[in-house]
Amino acid sequence: MAATKPVKAPSKRVPGVLASFTYVDAAADAIRALRAQGRRNLTVYSAAPNHEIEEALQHGVSPVRLFTLIGGLTGCAAGFGMTLWMSHDWPTVVGGKPIGSIPPYVVIAFELTILLGALITVAAVAFFSVALGKRGVPYDPSFSDDKIGIFVPTTADSARQVEQMLRNAGAEEVRYEA
Amino acid sequence: MASGHVITQTHADVTRDVVGTLSPPSRGYVLLLLGAVSLFLIGILTFLFLIKDGLGHAGYQPPIFWSVYITTFVFWVGIGHAGTLISAILFLFRSPWRTAVYRSTEAMTVFAVMTAGLFPIIHIGRQWIFYWLLPYPNSRFLWPNFKSPLIWDVFAISTYLTVSTTFLCFGLVPDVAAIRDKATGWRRKVYEMAAVGWRGTDNQWRHYSRAYLYLAALATPLVLSVHSVVSWDFAVSIVPGWHGTIFAPYFVAGAIYSGIGMVLTLIIPLRRALRIEHMITDYHFDNLAKLTLLTGSILFYAYGMEYFVAWYSGNIFEQTTFFRRAFGPYWWAGWTMIICNAFVSQLLWFRKVRTNLTSLFVISIFINIGMWFERYVIIVSSLSNDYIPWAWDQLNPTWADWGILAGSFGWFGMWFLLFAKNFPIVAIQEIKEMIPMPRKRGGHH
Amino acid sequence: MPDDLEPPNTLDRRRFLTVLGVTAGGGAMALSGCSTDRVQKLVPYLVQSEDQVPGVATWYASTCTECSTGCGVHVRTREGRAVKLEGNPEHPVNRGKLCSKGQASLQGLYNPGRIKAPMARTADGGFAEITWDNAIERLAAKLNEAGSKVAVISGASRGTFGDLLGEWTAALGGRLVRHESFDHEPVRAANRQVFGLDEFPAHDFGKAKYIISFGADFLESWGSPIEHQRGFARSHGFTDGDVARFVYAAPRRDLTGLNADEWVPIKPGSEAALALAMASVLVRERGDDRAGLAAALGSFTPAMAAQETGLSAATIERLAREFAAARPSLAVAGGIGSQHAASTEVCVAVNVLNFVAGNVGETVLFGADMPMADGHAALAKLAQAMEGGEIAVALVHDANPAYTLPKSSGFAARLAKVGFKVSISSYLDETAALCDLLLPQHHALERWDDSRPRAGVHGLMQPVMEPVFNTLAAGEILLRVSRKAAGPLARFTAPTWDEHLKSRWRDLATELGEGDPVAFWHSAVQRGGVFRDPPAPPQVALALADGRLAYTKPTFEGDGAFTFLTYPHAMLHDGRGTNKPWLLENADPVTKITWHSWVEVSPAAATRLDVRDGEIVELTSPYGKVEAPVYVYPGIRDDAVAIPLGFGHTAYGSFAQGRGVNALDLLGAPRGEFVPYLSTKVAVQKTGRYRKLASVAGVPRQLGRGIAEAMPLEAAKRGLTVQQARAEEGHAHHEINTGRELEAIHGWGEAQTRATQYGDYANEHPQWGMSIDLAKCTGCSACVTACYAENNIPTVGESEVLRGREMTWLRIERYWEDAGHGGGEPGEGGHGPESSEPAAAPSARFVPMLCQHCGNAPCEPVCPVYAAYHTADGLNGQVYNRCVGTRYCANNCPYKVRYFNWYKYNEQAWPEPLHLQLNPDVTVRARGVMEKCTFCIQRIRDTQNHARLEDRPIRDGEFTTACAQACPSDAIVFGNVKDPGSKVARIKQDARGYHVLEEINVRPAVTYLAKVLHPVEA
Repeated sequence: MAATKPVKAPSKRVPGVLASFTYVDAAADAIRALRAQGRRNLTVYSAAPNHEIEEALQHGVSPVRLFTLIGGLTGCAAGFGMTLWMSHDWPTVVGGKPIGSIPPYVVIAFELTILLGALITVAAVAFFSVALGKRGVPYDPSFSDDKIGIFVPTTADSARQVEQMLRNAGAEEVRYEA
Repeated sequence: MASGHVITQTHADVTRDVVGTLSPPSRGYVLLLLGAVSLFLIGILTFLFLIKDGLGHAGYQPPIFWSVYITTFVFWVGIGHAGTLISAILFLFRSPWRTAVYRSTEAMTVFAVMTAGLFPIIHIGRQWIFYWLLPYPNSRFLWPNFKSPLIWDVFAISTYLTVSTTFLCFGLVPDVAAIRDKATGWRRKVYEMAAVGWRGTDNQWRHYSRAYLYLAALATPLVLSVHSVVSWDFAVSIVPGWHGTIFAPYFVAGAIYSGIGMVLTLIIPLRRALRIEHMITDYHFDNLAKLTLLTGSILFYAYGMEYFVAWYSGNIFEQTTFFRRAFGPYWWAGWTMIICNAFVSQLLWFRKVRTNLTSLFVISIFINIGMWFERYVIIVSSLSNDYIPWAWDQLNPTWADWGILAGSFGWFGMWFLLFAKNFPIVAIQEIKEMIPMPRKRGGHH
Repeated sequence: MPDDLEPPNTLDRRRFLTVLGVTAGGGAMALSGCSTDRVQKLVPYLVQSEDQVPGVATWYASTCTECSTGCGVHVRTREGRAVKLEGNPEHPVNRGKLCSKGQASLQGLYNPGRIKAPMARTADGGFAEITWDNAIERLAAKLNEAGSKVAVISGASRGTFGDLLGEWTAALGGRLVRHESFDHEPVRAANRQVFGLDEFPAHDFGKAKYIISFGADFLESWGSPIEHQRGFARSHGFTDGDVARFVYAAPRRDLTGLNADEWVPIKPGSEAALALAMASVLVRERGDDRAGLAAALGSFTPAMAAQETGLSAATIERLAREFAAARPSLAVAGGIGSQHAASTEVCVAVNVLNFVAGNVGETVLFGADMPMADGHAALAKLAQAMEGGEIAVALVHDANPAYTLPKSSGFAARLAKVGFKVSISSYLDETAALCDLLLPQHHALERWDDSRPRAGVHGLMQPVMEPVFNTLAAGEILLRVSRKAAGPLARFTAPTWDEHLKSRWRDLATELGEGDPVAFWHSAVQRGGVFRDPPAPPQVALALADGRLAYTKPTFEGDGAFTFLTYPHAMLHDGRGTNKPWLLENADPVTKITWHSWVEVSPAAATRLDVRDGEIVELTSPYGKVEAPVYVYPGIRDDAVAIPLGFGHTAYGSFAQGRGVNALDLLGAPRGEFVPYLSTKVAVQKTGRYRKLASVAGVPRQLGRGIAEAMPLEAAKRGLTVQQARAEEGHAHHEINTGRELEAIHGWGEAQTRATQYGDYANEHPQWGMSIDLAKCTGCSACVTACYAENNIPTVGESEVLRGREMTWLRIERYWEDAGHGGGEPGEGGHGPESSEPAAAPSARFVPMLCQHCGNAPCEPVCPVYAAYHTADGLNGQVYNRCVGTRYCANNCPYKVRYFNWYKYNEQAWPEPLHLQLNPDVTVRARGVMEKCTFCIQRIRDTQNHARLEDRPIRDGEFTTACAQACPSDAIVFGNVKDPGSKVARIKQDARGYHVLEEINVRPAVTYLAKVLHPVEA
């Protein structure tokens, strides 16, 4: 496999072994084996989320939901706050209705709830998966097509052992990247 | 895996086929695009006249102070409801058939709302100060009137546009990454940027899938609220024919109905043009048609209920309005709406009709026409006869009305065509998610 | 105006101040500020003139010259520009009220069609501008040549100018004819015959307990309309708990006819038979024949009259008995619309009827003569003379015979035979267009002048502003010519017209036994004239020679199927109003059509002819053809068609020219003392072409919505409410809520209202409100014109009216009403004129509709930018600058009284110099904003400011809205509802009071009082 230029030229590349699998159960086996060895700092590439791999990795639930909640509540508060304050800022009677009438303001509050909720959720994802994402980890275009990739950060000396382990699990291609 | 629908492709095929849709444009495509752009220019020209001399060019005839523009506004907002419904609500319901079509419908949604968003600006008397509807500190020391449904609109429509756009782009990221890895040259650079460094790592997928779920959860009440709010533009007024509690559900059903109508109109030719028949199949159309039948029947009920309530209320204003809607000067519009929406949709009880693309396409056209007329009838015919008979009059639309209407179709078509050629119109990643990956031990997990 | 000021189209600062000097000194002249091209920069006052405070209006008292009635006016000027005309409250004729025509004279002053400077005919047939000196010289020269071969045609001017003109013509040995198109000659002729009095008496409609009009449109053009309307409102408006019955006997119902309790559609020209039959029944039944007419009347039996009129004998008997029973009663006749060859007989008959009923001296008051002209015969003789070349120089002043006489009379051709023709008209009208020399005279608001509309009333006119154009007062022209021509004219030595007038008023002072002529003059200038009680009515005796009474069967020329009726247009009069956009756009009160001619056809006739609204038909009489669109009108006999006068100008400015058709083209040459407008039969031909009528009417049916309510007289007398009256007629109101529910609804409403008492809204404020009495409203539409004038409402023109875009903040809706209440079912109606085909002979109800300034205004909450909002003093405010033009407010207005600026009307409605009429106190609205009635907020604030300066509360009646001020019947009352003592607050307590669309709970600030019907006692 010709070493293709990685997508983001990393400031400093992380040395380690990059393997690519065709078979999903093979990849899952490899992950389990590596984790058994105490290698938890893996990076697994796939074109679509996959249950087997997720189970093998045993990740906890993503924290973005918390941000969704915060965003929603903020929006709701902002909605009521803005409408009520603005109508009392210059009291103007229309249609013989009270200056601050809650029913119409519910609509505004609702829309802002959704708006902030959604925007902050997306912001959170960007934060966690891009800003906090691992840097300098090698990547191969085939991962966005039909291959599953596993990258094991490791030093040159223990690389051979890791490569061997991955091959046994059923990796088609394995290479050490320094 | 849902009944009657088996995907016989590998991940590699999916990537290939979808990337294939982005091949250099055919002559037909270019002609279509030019057509759309020229329609759009007609709209621009008309708008310039409105700005130069005033709204008088349009056929407004008091007491009809809203007519074709607001009709078309509601029409486009309505179109904009199928996408989010399919991508969000059906996602929550885990209904598998959405996968193949949701990207195109989502795109349609965004562009339809973009179109609708122009109308509140076009239709006001002093277009250049439309932003006075926004709550920003200003020299007038005046905030907008949050009791006005028009302000609710501002918030509902802009929220809807933002969220559905976010939703679309969010779903696009992994697919753009996939294209990036196939693309070469300058296009690669562009997709590279669009992919915002997506690599499909386990960590990314972890947050992504969660977030997608929450977005869907937020978009679902939103899509229901937006057209309810639009319906309140009418329902909270005191105009007979507008002032009805039935309006919110009635409009939402109508919106979805019209939206799916437009979806059918768009993807039936699209799948041919892009050669993705094996991805969007009878199975999908059958389900779309069922949804159409459901919403169409809800409309049927709503129409009937409007007349019943008008009669049962004993309110002479309501009675007059609905009597004239059926037998007055607007009988033709009234019956167009009832036939196109209530009756034509009933043909979909037959499986043959549902799975025959020709008949589906024809029906979808009827739906588009019918739904435009529904809004025309509700707005124009109700306004044409409210409380004071002395003020009653009829509308005479002019070139200025049709010019803007044509422009809106051009504007929408332009965006949709551009999107279809430059972005995956079928969701690569979600299709792949449904295709079982090869296993060395064989069999299923 | 001093000569040295001419030509006045340059105004440097020096002259500006000179004028100020004159202004301050003369106390009457106003600072120039009129024509735009004059003042280039703003000039600060060095010497603050006493009567010119920038931003503060100056009022001048003057006299209206739009018709021969001679109403007194107050002219409001701002920064030296006349901006509004209102009635002079002191003036005995109009008592502070003014009709649309009078108010629109402002648009005559600033009319773009005015002649801007003296002009002379050029070789190529055009006109070229010349200087006044040159013009005067030319005329003088011609007069010297002409000797006594001089003819002067003038209007019905009775005043100093009229006298001067008379003496002036006499001095030349020339002939003077005073021509007034509607001079009611038959009335005077009849009075000569019956009572030996050559005058048009005053009529006290207020005193009459029963009124019958034989085609006299006394609310429109007949006699003294404003005065009549005032009286009519008193007797017929449920003023002192009673309503005089009013019967209208004519082939067509005009506005006056639509106000009648009963319409008897007699055959055209058969009035005399009816009147005489009534008189004979009356004499027979009363059994006293002091007049000694029993014999003469004997032959006029109800049976005979039934034969002639087409009524039943029983009806005639009933009318006679009703007429006799009510004392005093009043019968009037001699309307232009029913003026036929034998009209004098009609007036004679009516005189007799009044006499035997004992009305003469009661409701018919002689002694207070009304202005008069010389009748048509004199003019015809003069025209003959012109034909015969006996006239070398003809002057035409204040008359337009080339238009107001039927073309068949050939006047134009005869005038053309005159060697030198001079026009002293302000406008290039049809007659002026034939002349060789144009001497444009000052508009009435630019000159000194006076008018004696009747004995005891000396109305004074004064210049309220600097002339708009380079014109002169007609009197000034005569005097200057006299100076130049010398010869027999040498005896007219007055230095200026103003001096001449003042000297005459000094004579008047002595004549009236006034000690101090200067004080007399000043008070006259201040009050707009001198008003003395009319002389006691003379003892009127029957002077009927050998008591002969004649009735000539009417004969009509032509063999068409329809009798042709034509009548004075309620706004355009004889066509002199057709150059004024206000009068063209303010819809005809009867048909509600604007800007163009129409042909009235009865529903039955329309079916017979198979024509509908807007279908263009061709009318053919022996004398000509005209084409006009059909208006299907239930108020006209099936055997007659009608076209209004006033349209079809061939000159007279861009507004008038080529607009509609001239009904006179169908008439023959008048042969008698007057023009017989009712004299031909016409054939009606379909052309197969259509045009949409520029009507402001939507569906003219109430569809049971109780917009214009009414109740029978006896119900009103018993003080029933509208609801109760309805209930008695079996239209009981069906309440769907239980008592508890109503309580809850009410309580919730109160709570909502309390919740609005916040910020400034919690403070003490007046609450402005209005009441409109439908029993008094006649639909005359004077209020509409007043509203246009006060609030700078743009006229949008025919094309926009066709699109329903007229901007009438205040409009008069006219609903057709079948017998009984309500009328119409849900779903009835259709579109505009198409559906205006009510069932046979319905009655009309007029209801002025304006912004109701609702307490719970539906228009307010829907506005996204607070452009529509509620003021603390109960007004429904509309802030133009805030408005972005979403138009939601208009959709949500149940009364549909909001109007949108679809185009840049503000740039189109007032072509120069018409824009000078604009009221500086009121914003001119830009394109793209919504506007509507403001309850004349500028007047409210102005009054409040004054009150605050004088540190006092506002007095009730201290001010009122423009519409209320103008209303000749005082149907509209405005004031502070919170002040229990205020007139409006008291009227709102009236049992007849109701709100339009009460059930939708928008809490209007306008209360309507139900019309009171006086049906035939069964």
